[in-house]
Amino acid sequence: MMNNIILETSGLKKVYNVGKGNAQTVLKSINVQIKRGEFVTVMGASGCGKSTFLYNISGMDKMTAGSVVFDGQDISTLSERELSNLRLTKMGFIFQQGHLLKNLCIFDNIILSAYLEKSNSRKEINKRAIELMKKTGISELADKDITQASGGQLQRVGICRSLINQPKIIFGDEPTGALNSKATNEIMELLENINEIGTTILLVTHDVKVAAKSERILFMIDGNIVGEKHLGKYVKENQDIRKREEQLSSWLIDMGI
Amino acid sequence: MLFKILKKDFQRNKAIIIALFIFIMVSSLLVSSGSRVIIELFGSIDNLFEKANAPHFVQMHSGEIDESVIDTFVSRNNLVKDQQTVEMLVIDGADIFFGNSQTADKNSVMDNGFVKQNHSFDVLLNLKNQVIQVSKGEIAVPIYYMQQKNVKISDPIRISNGSFDKVFTVTDFVRDVQMNPSIISSKRFVVNEADFDTLHQNIGKVEYMIEFQLTDLNKISKFTNDYQSSNLPQRGPTVDYSLFKTLNALTDGIVAVVIILVSILLIIIALLCLRFTILTTMEEDYKEIGVMKAIGIMQKDIKKIYLIKYIVMSALACMSGYLLSLGVSKLFTANISLYIGTASKNMRHFLIPFLSTVLVFVIVIFFCIIVLRRFEKITAVEALRSGAMGTTKVNTRLLALRKNRLLDTNVFLGIKDVLGRLKMYLLLFTSFVICSFIIIVPINFLNTLQSPTFISYMGVGQSDIRIDLQQSNNATQAFTNMVEYIEKDRDIEKFSPHITCKYSVLNSDGGWENINVETGDFSIFPLEYLKGTVPKVGNEIALSQLKADGLGKVVGDTLLLVVNEEEQEMLVSGIYQDVTNGGKTAKAMLPYNSETTLWYTINVNTKQDVNISNKIAEYTKHFPSAKVTYLEDYLTQTLGTTIKQVQLVTIVAIVIAILISILITSLFLKMLIAKDTSQIAIMRSIGFTLRKIQVQYIVRTLLVLGIGIIVGTIFSNTIGQGLVSILMSFMGASKIQFVVNPIVSYLLCPFTLILIVTITTLMCTTSIKKIDITKMLTE
Ligand SMILES: Nc1ncnc2c1ncn2[C@@H]1O[C@H](COP(=O)(O)OP(=O)(O)OP(=O)(O)O)[C@@H](O)[C@H]1O
Ligand SMILES: [Mg+2]
Repeated sequence: MMNNIILETSGLKKVYNVGKGNAQTVLKSINVQIKRGEFVTVMGASGCGKSTFLYNISGMDKMTAGSVVFDGQDISTLSERELSNLRLTKMGFIFQQGHLLKNLCIFDNIILSAYLEKSNSRKEINKRAIELMKKTGISELADKDITQASGGQLQRVGICRSLINQPKIIFGDEPTGALNSKATNEIMELLENINEIGTTILLVTHDVKVAAKSERILFMIDGNIVGEKHLGKYVKENQDIRKREEQLSSWLIDMGI
Repeated sequence: MLFKILKKDFQRNKAIIIALFIFIMVSSLLVSSGSRVIIELFGSIDNLFEKANAPHFVQMHSGEIDESVIDTFVSRNNLVKDQQTVEMLVIDGADIFFGNSQTADKNSVMDNGFVKQNHSFDVLLNLKNQVIQVSKGEIAVPIYYMQQKNVKISDPIRISNGSFDKVFTVTDFVRDVQMNPSIISSKRFVVNEADFDTLHQNIGKVEYMIEFQLTDLNKISKFTNDYQSSNLPQRGPTVDYSLFKTLNALTDGIVAVVIILVSILLIIIALLCLRFTILTTMEEDYKEIGVMKAIGIMQKDIKKIYLIKYIVMSALACMSGYLLSLGVSKLFTANISLYIGTASKNMRHFLIPFLSTVLVFVIVIFFCIIVLRRFEKITAVEALRSGAMGTTKVNTRLLALRKNRLLDTNVFLGIKDVLGRLKMYLLLFTSFVICSFIIIVPINFLNTLQSPTFISYMGVGQSDIRIDLQQSNNATQAFTNMVEYIEKDRDIEKFSPHITCKYSVLNSDGGWENINVETGDFSIFPLEYLKGTVPKVGNEIALSQLKADGLGKVVGDTLLLVVNEEEQEMLVSGIYQDVTNGGKTAKAMLPYNSETTLWYTINVNTKQDVNISNKIAEYTKHFPSAKVTYLEDYLTQTLGTTIKQVQLVTIVAIVIAILISILITSLFLKMLIAKDTSQIAIMRSIGFTLRKIQVQYIVRTLLVLGIGIIVGTIFSNTIGQGLVSILMSFMGASKIQFVVNPIVSYLLCPFTLILIVTITTLMCTTSIKKIDITKMLTE
């Protein structure tokens, strides 16, 4: 049942119970479809529910109502174990901070989930990690502690880690939020390359420059997707990024920013 | 801000603070109970000795007696304040029927003496420390039997040997200043004078106790010399005031020492908990401490608020421990109250336990101050910048995941975490070491006590059957007959007759004192010697350890012995351990003199396929004047109370150890999980299942437990064995070698601990489920 939709939510709702009887509806009713190989970003004001959306579609948080179908499976029916396994094998995550394990060196942080997954030999995994690090330009950091690397470098480590199991989709929650523009560009270039070889990417960002590199932008207000903008695949060689940025900015202004 | 920190600290560490409180409280409870037991013990003994008007010197004698010789001695010796000769009718245990039972206790190793109440001193008391009075037909029974045979007031006791039969009614129990302790194998029953005469005419054998009270207690040894160099009756052991006291204090004294030792272990755990708590809270408050310093609050003040917290907590814990000990002290002193009685309380009963509690408090606070010194190392800038303290920095390079080819990833992560944060796991490790120590030491000791080889600590080689014959007029003949009979018995593999005689030896004060020397061939049932070897030639002698210590002799020394009225120089060939006869015995191959013979023993081993109990029955029938015992029975009866006490200690120790391991494991995990929350959230986000993370925690605790058990076992068999030896050295065995039951000690105990710790870990780590991953990741 390979269809070309990798992720589909319908009526996704999330309510937090804050204290006694105080419920806060963070996601109201979200209906989105994401195609295989698509590069989508979610934008919206702080606190509108973007991170919550990511956690709910990846099974890290339990949705209140609605359904999320990921790669043909309704994740609301899955057990904790199956959800973990799903994250391990089919999803990759990049966060604003590296969120790496303190007691492992950088190389070990990268290979950890592959060792856990066990479908490849440890030798192959090590080889793949070395390749990934070379590609992301952090080869010389392999044996370093995570405290010995800069924010941008840690972000690359995070990307390597998310790619080690060749996931079908990569979720990024403001992966460039803590980086300067040079580092941001480098990270985005990496993500574009990943997307080019067919990995679906779903990013949350505040940065127009980041969003302008994606195919489609979803705009969220108070727990609802209120609009979307198709920019089409960004092809570096024959498209001017600044034009896409301007297009996006004016759309965002129309949306009420 | 200061107050805020304290309040936050309590809320955050509620569990560990409560646990700390409990540990300190229980330590102070045990310390004050232990010291109370000691105070109570000495107070009660003094009281009992006073009420019973204890004799200062007692010579046992079996055989004829001439009162006039004694009277002359008394009139000439100015040390004597009072003298009495007590007639004791020894009736074989096989002729005494307790309650309504139809069978007597044939295996009894106790010598049952029947006496009349004494008038001037050595008074036999009842449970209220009143002088026992019995009318005709009534009998007062030793406390030992009240406990062992569950004898009650108004129970019947029948004395019967076939031809003679008489029934008494129990009206009282005997608290006996001389023979109370169960390790003394004689017990006294009190009967009416008329009944005594009836018994005397029909049953039993008379022994005498020639008792003295002296004008000056400090001159006992001089008096002993006087007595022993006289021509007074001496066929039997002598006992003096200080030995009575020691024997009375022994069992409960050991209990008290054990209680105090356990409390020391608990204090160690409490101190480690304290260190762990202070360091974790300090680490969490690191930033705040930095801020406080930055805004100019003095280091001294910061330290003070932390210290105040622990002072308040420890003071409360120590006080509650002390107050609780007032409540439960009856539990610990029950045995004392029963056997020795209670003395009226004075200030000391409250003051000394209180002071020992105060000591616990001082130790705790002193330790706090030392740990809090780390504050000085925190500089404001460093704290604000790094936000983490250097002490728990992990070592990432120690083990690399990538170089790990074999281990499961979660197992690997568990091991790596322990190795990377060794210091932090110290608390858990030490607790596990202590837990396995306090389980294995009593278990091994119990097993040693119950093993047949324990006989070697009783100065006897190991054999199947032991035959005892007391000296009497026709004992020599009976002994010769027995040896002849056994020689012809084809069921016997080997046997060895021994005769114990009394000789005089020159002691370190230059006076002559008695020594009981066993003669015979000691190579047939060999005994393990502490030092040196078995006496092989006529001028060699082996001494029991307490005797050697008393005489100030070591292997290779010589001593002067009077043999057949001639002084003979003997070479000390060996020293062995002996917990029988007050621990003071000797062995040599000397010509024996039937005049000074005290008793005879024969050790017998049957051939493989012979039924030992049948053989014992046969010998019992053939040798009516002797006591035939199966050696294992002999052991269990003489050591019975000790074994029971150790059993109790073992059970209590196991329960305490299990509780400690559950408590510390859960506490530690609680803190650890709180510390590791963000790391757990990261692992969950990249696809670790709960189960896999639990595996990591189980690996951590089990790794620490495993090493802890190994170290604990090694400590048990070295330090523990040494401690037990020290305790047992009061009884005459200073070098106990544990007889280990490997299945129990090396399989069952570790397995139990592993099971308990695994279950605790599983239970505690389910709280991981509650960690909100998303919250951690968003921060
Ligand atoms: N665990 C929680 N319990 C209660 N309320 C929560 C919880 N997590 C998030 N919220 C609330 O849900 C709303 C959405 O939060 P979310 O983190 O999804 O916002 P966001 O769009 O990612 O914002 P930002 O751009 O600042 O990251 C916020 O109002 C937040 O207070
Ligand atoms: Mg967010």
